This record gives sequence, structure tokens and C-alpha cells, in this order.
Amino acid sequence: MITLQHYLIVSAALFSLGMLGILTRRNAVNVLMGVELVLNSANLNLVAFSRFGSGNLQGQLFAVFVIVIAAAEVAVALAIVLTLYRLRRTSNLDAADILRG
Amino acid sequence: MAEVLTSMKRFEPALILTGATLLVVLVDATGVRWRDGAGRILTIAGLLLALVRSVELRDVSAEIFGGMAVVDPLGSFFQALLIAASLLVVLAFTFRNSRELHGQGQGEFYALLLAVTLSNVLLATANDLAMLYLALEMVSITSYVMVAYMKGDRMSNEASLKYILFGAVSTGAMLYGLSLLYGLTGTTSLPAIRDFLAAGLVDSNRLAIYAIALLIFSGFGFKTATVPFHFWCPDVYQGAPTPVTAFLSVAPKAAGFAIMIRFFYAGLAAPRTGPWDLAGTIDWVHVLMIISVLSMTVGNVAALTQTNMKRLLAYSSIAHAGYIMMGVVALSQNGARALMIYLLAYLVMNLGAFLVVTLIHLHDGTFDLRDYPGLYRRSPFLTVAMAVFLLSLMGIPPLVGFMGKLYVFAAVVERGRSYYGYAAVGAVNAAIAAYYYARVLKTMVMDNPPAEKPPFRLAFADATWVSILLLGNVLPLLWWARIDGWARSSLSLYAGQ
Repeated sequence: MITLQHYLIVSAALFSLGMLGILTRRNAVNVLMGVELVLNSANLNLVAFSRFGSGNLQGQLFAVFVIVIAAAEVAVALAIVLTLYRLRRTSNLDAADILRG
Repeated sequence: MAEVLTSMKRFEPALILTGATLLVVLVDATGVRWRDGAGRILTIAGLLLALVRSVELRDVSAEIFGGMAVVDPLGSFFQALLIAASLLVVLAFTFRNSRELHGQGQGEFYALLLAVTLSNVLLATANDLAMLYLALEMVSITSYVMVAYMKGDRMSNEASLKYILFGAVSTGAMLYGLSLLYGLTGTTSLPAIRDFLAAGLVDSNRLAIYAIALLIFSGFGFKTATVPFHFWCPDVYQGAPTPVTAFLSVAPKAAGFAIMIRFFYAGLAAPRTGPWDLAGTIDWVHVLMIISVLSMTVGNVAALTQTNMKRLLAYSSIAHAGYIMMGVVALSQNGARALMIYLLAYLVMNLGAFLVVTLIHLHDGTFDLRDYPGLYRRSPFLTVAMAVFLLSLMGIPPLVGFMGKLYVFAAVVERGRSYYGYAAVGAVNAAIAAYYYARVLKTMVMDNPPAEKPPFRLAFADATWVSILLLGNVLPLLWWARIDGWARSSLSLYAGQ
């Protein structure tokens, strides 16, 4: 029997893996994958709470909006990574080093 | 149906902004010769109309669209402030007087500015976790694009990339917190969450709600650029085109504070002790206090050694976020009023400082403080204007910046003895800040220039807008009772029936 706890454990694991990916990867596209994991861990939480916890649909509604936002965010982020790639010929984050101080 | 129609009527400022955004995009897409001018006029007209409508709604207090958003005096105050900020940016900063924007397309800029304004307005009136998250992300995503506005410029792109990555992480953590809050309380509506928490919590949940609030705060901290969520701020402010920097330093910060007040006061307060008292649920004060002290100190100390004016003002804006936070830390009605007054003052003084920096860049092509010597002889007017803006940021009477500081310090001190130390840290920080603001003035007035540069020619429109912002730093004190009264009457917060 799968209970709420199982979902929460999976989502906590997804969240941690996502954060780990964001903090350790040097490639911008890989970092964006980490961001997706973080957002989807929250989605899993929302849907699981909606199904097992409160019994209302607010959580599922919220998750639908989060999916839209995640798509928009990644679209903008990839566009920026692409223009940076055109200027620097790399998508490595260590190349973004002219602003400091 | 009737509910939707009434809601639409009360939602008019946002609807006007949406319409204006779409119109600007359409006009720009036609490709006719006069599209740039038309776009600017449409933007100004849309903002003015929305401003008038939001002020007219100041006496209404109700929820709209089934509780997704609210109309209340506090929301109306912040709507007016946020729309006014956009309006000032459009009017004072143009594609002529900002050298970085020369040769860039204009239509997109106005459309993006209107979109950020729309999302700011939504954020200030959000009443539901979903709406809160949507509006916050909409502010962020549109600002990422605005920061990267100079397409071929490496600095602009790099700034935007850093902004996106920091933003994605902090809002991701915030979303995780929001999902847990929904799980704990079983609802996404802020008043319902407050009612649930007020009914009492078992002790294990008390710890959970503490962790949740910290996660959620990462989103607010990112929007308001408070330590430890400030790392993007100096880089983004330096890399973005200056009009965008000026806009970002004021409007999203104000919207962030608006939602912070609404979340902590309407979402987590205990109704039995009044909507402005949080003591019932949990001891927030210390966390908020630490964040505020860190923001002031880190911002001011880092600003001491900066030579790039945009970076210097970025660190100064982090420090100011710390002062504004004092209003949240006070967690009282006077604290919220102090925060609103401070944001009003911050609007005119910070936009003024950025306008002067932009004009100097237009003529000399530099943001470096080491190129500023001799400006006093070349343009006394601009130097005097900069002096007023910086003295206002410093908090010297009789300028509006002083009134802002006066209100926040008074709000903190009146909370009692245990807050005196905190107020003292704020005062020491104000003294540190005085040093680097004064250093800029000293460079402009007293230092000798290495070589003679041609005299400064200021366009009439630029001189006018500098003067208007200059008067904005002085004249409000003549009508202070009315401004104070406006802030005082805006303190009521819609928090459920």
C-alpha cells in the first residue's frame, strides 16, 4: 500500500537531488535540469497532499500552474544560455566571470 | 457570474495594464515608422489610467475572483506606489538619455516594463499561495528578460544568467515550502491558513511551520535582495542597462515587501490579538532581525570599497532593504506604516541617483567613480542634484530619506527595551553608509580632474526630470501630514470575513 509518506520521501529525495545538481554542475543546461527536479518535487508534494491530505483540488490546480511557470522559466533561461553561447562559444558557467568585485 | 463581474470592476488596474501591454506589442509588430513614439505614449497613458483607477479603489476592502486576490487599502497603496515607479522610469529614462539603450528596439522594452508592472500589482494583492507564486515568478521571468536587454553585450547576458540561476533556486525552495504549507494546513488561501494556525498547533507542527516559513522566505528575500539571498544583486545591477537597474532597485523590491507584509501579517497572524500581531503563532522576530542586521551590515561594508557607481548603488540598495526590513521586524501597525513611508522616500531618492549616473554615462561614457572628479565645475546643477539624492539616501534632514529612517527607527524603538540594541546597530550602519555616500560627493566636488573635459550640456528634458526628482526629495515635507495620513489610512488589510 502506497501512502502519503512514500510520496513525501520521493519528493524530498527529488528536491535534494535537484539542489545537488544545481550546486555541483558547471554546465548551464545541467543546472536547469536540477531546477526542473526542484520544481517537480514540489509538484509531487502538492498532488500527493491533495489526494491523501486535504481532499480538495487546490493543490492539483496549483501544480498545473507550476508546470506552466516551469516551462516559461526554462524557455527564458535557455534563450539566455543560447545568446551567451553565441558570444562565448561555451555553456560552461565558469565562463561567466566578467562581473565580479 | 455576478461575482466575476464585480471582481472585474475591482481588477481594473491590472486589466488596463494587460490591455496596454498587448496594444504596445501590436503597435510594435506593425512596423510603422512612428511605432516607438506610439509605444511610449501608450505606455504612459496605460500607467496613468491604472494609477488613477488604483487610487480610486482605496476604500474598497473585499476579495475578488473567489479569494485568489484581494482589493484593500494596503493593496491600493502598493499598487499606486508600484505603478508610479514604472511611470517615473518611463518618463525620466528614455532611449535618448541612456547610452546603453541606443540602437535597441523600443517596443519590447515598454511591453516588458508594463508586464513587470502588471505582475508587481498582482503580487501586491495576492491572497492565495498559487497566486502569490504565479505573480512572484511572473515578476522574476520578465525581469530576467529586461536585464538581458542588450543582446550583443556579454555583461548584460551574464547578469541575466546569474539572475535566472539564483532566482530559480530561491523560488524553487520557496515553492517547496509553499507545497508543505498546503500539506500542513490543507488550503492555499492565506486567510484560511491563518484561521487554521490560529486554532492551535501541536508542538511537532510548530517546528515544521518554522522550517516552512524559512523556505518561503528565500523567495521573498530574493525579491527584496536581503542577505543571504543578495548574491545576484551587485552583478545584475552592474550588467543590466541603467534604466532597468533603476527600475529593479525600486519596484520589485517594493512588491516583495508588500507580499512579505501580507504573508506574515495576513497569513500567519493570530486574529484574536488583531491582524497586526504575530506573537500568537511563533517567534519570528529574531529570524527577521538577523536577516535585517546582516543586510545592512553586508551591504554597507561591501559598498565602502566600490568604485563602479552601479555596484555601489547596488550594495547601498541591499543596505536599504535592511533598513526597510526594520518595519517588518517591528511587527506592528507603526512598523508597516514606516515601511510604506520608507519605500515612498526610497523611490524618489534612488531613481534620482540612478538618473544622474545615467546622464553622466551619456556624456562621459563611464560608470567609474574615478572619472567623476571635476564634475562640480562642469555641471554644478547635476552635482547639487546628486548631493541632494545622496544626502537623502544618507538620511539627512530635511530630506524625505530622513523621514523614512525616522519612521523605521521610531517603530523599532517603541517596541521596548529588547529592541534598543537592534536600533543601535541600525544607527551605526547609517553612519558607515554616510562615509561612502560622502566619498562620492567629495570626488565630484573637491578632487582635481586629471585633464580638462568639455563642459556638460544637459538636454532640457533631462534637466527637468532631475529637477522634478530633486523637488520630490524636498517638497513632500510641506504636505507631510497628508502623506502620513495616506499611509495611516492604508493600513487596513483584508483578512477574511
